[in-house]
Amino acid sequence: MLSSPGRQQRRVVVTGLGAVTPAGWGVKAFAQAILSGRTTIGGFTRFDHVAQRTHIAGEVPPEPPTLRRVRGWHRLSNTDRFAVGSALEASQQAGLAWPLADADAAVFFASSTGGLLETERFVHALFDPGVATATRGLLASYSLSSPAEAIARRLGVTAAVETVSSACAASALAIEQALRAIRRGEVEVAFTGGSDCLCVTTYAGFNALRAVDEHPCRPFRADRAGLSLGEGAAVLVLESLDHAVARGAAPLAELMGAGASCDASHMTAPNPDGYWAAEAMRRALADAGLDSSAIDFLNAHGTATPLNDAAEAAAIGLVFGDRAHAVPVEATKGVVGHLLGAAGAVEAVATIVSLRAGTLHPTPESGPVDDALGVDLVLGRPRTSSTLRTAMSANLGFGGANAALVLRRWSEESES
Amino acid sequence: MSDRLERVVVTGVGVVVGACCGIDALATALHASSSLAAGVESRSPYHGEGSATQGVLSIGVDLSPWVPAATGRRMGRPSRFAAAAARMAVLDAGGAAVDDPTSTVVMATAYGAIEATEHLLRVERREGPAMVSPFGFTESVANAAAAHIAIATGAHGPNLTIVQREAGALTAVGRGALEVASRRSRCALVGCAEEMPPILHAFLDRFNALARGTATMTEAARPFDRRRNGFIAAEGAVVLVLESEREARARGARIRAVIRGFASAFDPTAGRLGWGRGHVALGGALTRLLERTSTDRSRVSRVVSGASGSIAGDRLEAHVLHEVWRGSTLPPILAPKGHTGEYGGGFLAAAVLGATQPNAGPTVGFDEVDPDLDVTPHGGGELPASDVTLVTSLAAGGAASWLLLEAV
Amino acid sequence: MLNEVELRQELKALIVQTLRFEGLTADRLADDTPLFGEGLGLDSVDALELVVALEKAYGITIRSHEVDKSVFTSVDSLGKFVARTLVAASTESAVNAQ
Repeated sequence: MLSSPGRQQRRVVVTGLGAVTPAGWGVKAFAQAILSGRTTIGGFTRFDHVAQRTHIAGEVPPEPPTLRRVRGWHRLSNTDRFAVGSALEASQQAGLAWPLADADAAVFFASSTGGLLETERFVHALFDPGVATATRGLLASYSLSSPAEAIARRLGVTAAVETVSSACAASALAIEQALRAIRRGEVEVAFTGGSDCLCVTTYAGFNALRAVDEHPCRPFRADRAGLSLGEGAAVLVLESLDHAVARGAAPLAELMGAGASCDASHMTAPNPDGYWAAEAMRRALADAGLDSSAIDFLNAHGTATPLNDAAEAAAIGLVFGDRAHAVPVEATKGVVGHLLGAAGAVEAVATIVSLRAGTLHPTPESGPVDDALGVDLVLGRPRTSSTLRTAMSANLGFGGANAALVLRRWSEESES
Repeated sequence: MSDRLERVVVTGVGVVVGACCGIDALATALHASSSLAAGVESRSPYHGEGSATQGVLSIGVDLSPWVPAATGRRMGRPSRFAAAAARMAVLDAGGAAVDDPTSTVVMATAYGAIEATEHLLRVERREGPAMVSPFGFTESVANAAAAHIAIATGAHGPNLTIVQREAGALTAVGRGALEVASRRSRCALVGCAEEMPPILHAFLDRFNALARGTATMTEAARPFDRRRNGFIAAEGAVVLVLESEREARARGARIRAVIRGFASAFDPTAGRLGWGRGHVALGGALTRLLERTSTDRSRVSRVVSGASGSIAGDRLEAHVLHEVWRGSTLPPILAPKGHTGEYGGGFLAAAVLGATQPNAGPTVGFDEVDPDLDVTPHGGGELPASDVTLVTSLAAGGAASWLLLEAV
Repeated sequence: MLNEVELRQELKALIVQTLRFEGLTADRLADDTPLFGEGLGLDSVDALELVVALEKAYGITIRSHEVDKSVFTSVDSLGKFVARTLVAASTESAVNAQ
């Protein structure tokens, strides 16, 4: 007897976007970077990596001075800052003032590192007391829920504030949670997305799995050799269409549907036949009430590990059938790296940017595509098209969690 | 798509809390006059002088009947607890469709696999990055437990790990229940898993979160008590099997409780590490939950409170309850964290028990009313007949979540 | 330098300990028992874990491209690989010392 508003499926739109990525602070910097054909992955200074197996990552540059004046900024962890920076940008674009006027806004967020970088500094100081002092404040943002809570405090949110941490699929799953909450009438507005920071644990950990390329990653390429780690955050303001129209907010895109599944087979390796990844995509399409033929392009998970890209290509084949080789594929991780808990959200932002611009963003040119995968990778240069209306963004996570989102460009005709 | 929602019920419970394996063992323990706490490792390099010494720990518990050595050899402790609890829950539910392609897993953790992380960092620093264990990393991620449950049960639906500190467990149950109610998932495995190694225990102690002994009283969690000075930290895992009442009845399953409602809210006046002043707004959110589910206050026959002995947390909890029951007497209040400690799911399992049992044990640790709180939790013995049970959790940092359970 | 038999015994103990095969004694692991698939049932992460243990135990460096399944077919093939790598390493250090 869980309550239901008894409505038909409500339409949910995106009214604000925010992003903090290795390209810089703001969606504009991100959009420029993904269209540029160049990678932002390179040397980094977030922590000392001289003894690590690899030495590159996608690192967020220092924040604009204006943000340092945000109350309490210096006490926030990096992950919190990326999240708050993105949320402020998104809420500004959405035209939602702070503190929010009513109780009808929630935060559904994701992180897989939280304040781990700062916690590492504390733990290292415990190991070597002569080198640094282990100050308690370093632990204050440890929880993976911290970035969501930082956003919620900043915006005065009083509805649900929940954090998902399902590895690489986490922020896509958080976006799905937000979609469901708005559809069922739990809230009218949700801030959703994810945030993660480079840290020793994930850097050394993925290197221990020999999953990191010593060069900037090359998704779907014949000689791909692993992922590149990145950091940053993205926030989307999701809103019921009714609420957006009533307050005169201009939608940027419509979130048509979402779907999720779990391989349930192995802790790290994806199912090679791509079956359950395809199932997440199929569930998203069913949720959107669409056939795969409606999808004009795919923003892939594309981590560039040999296994992931092969499994994803297999999934694309299962979902799109004969069309599979002709569905253009964006691989955003080639530009900014793998943002872990923020990846799904950042890639959803990239998908919306592409839809709005009518231009597919390339992954940087570096080596031929793996023909065996049968994937139409957008490579080297942007691809403009007049028929970019509906897209899918896919995320296939560590531990087998898969998620997919279906997004549609907003136009004048969309409201009817 | 049909608007009609399924009624969601709990048909299985698995418990690994302290030395308790199984719901019956916990039920017995909850009637005892002492808590499940025992001494933590006292020679830890992380603890300081005068730090807390107790925790509800699951060290040396034999989980091999549920997680054979071959299956569990690569699991970290939270994963092993979770996999064992999931297996117990599935057996307890007897025939639920957990391996359905749509069955979802929603597990919560407050701190994740922190010992695996600590070990990784120690090796990385002392021996170099090349010596970091690949297993160690895969087990250090917060979603390891949920992934292992899916692998063990074949649940191919959405796989979520909720991290929401003390409010995570109820949020996981609520979000999982919504998946079943909407028919997106046929079954849900929901709950929480936690490990409490010395490093985490010491960190919590540094923030003065843990109960400590004083000159005049022993170290104990004292929910709602005037002398309370912190909670007892716990580890373990609890998993519930949720399915539609329709399917449960069709297969003749024993129903432990009905999930009548769920709500989640946030108090933005809370700082990162504590509780805020938002009892009016939180009380409003809880009142709306009751209204939305057509639950008159008079039908709430008992409250299973998340009060843990935290000075500020228990205060906010009391004020929220008084806000909702303004002008009326509070229903009987159970506060099982005096027994089970905070984290690890003992509280969640106690709530499922508390929703249907005709009696309950004493509130361990409570002796003196705090006039500011004006709450006297249940002292043990019979309770009025169970109808609707309110289960509460207010987290440090501001999150709040509530469940309404109903006796069948 | 260890003889082949001693090396294989050491490797068996390393496998059991590193991969946490409680209850599997080294003497019950035959030289030719398949380590992957049917047999011991190891997977790719087990292989990586063993690589770390081997690097630590023998002070050798194993490159990513060397970590392929043929090396890990059995204790026998693993023993041959470690022996080869140790010989190559000591040859290299002898050359470098000149």
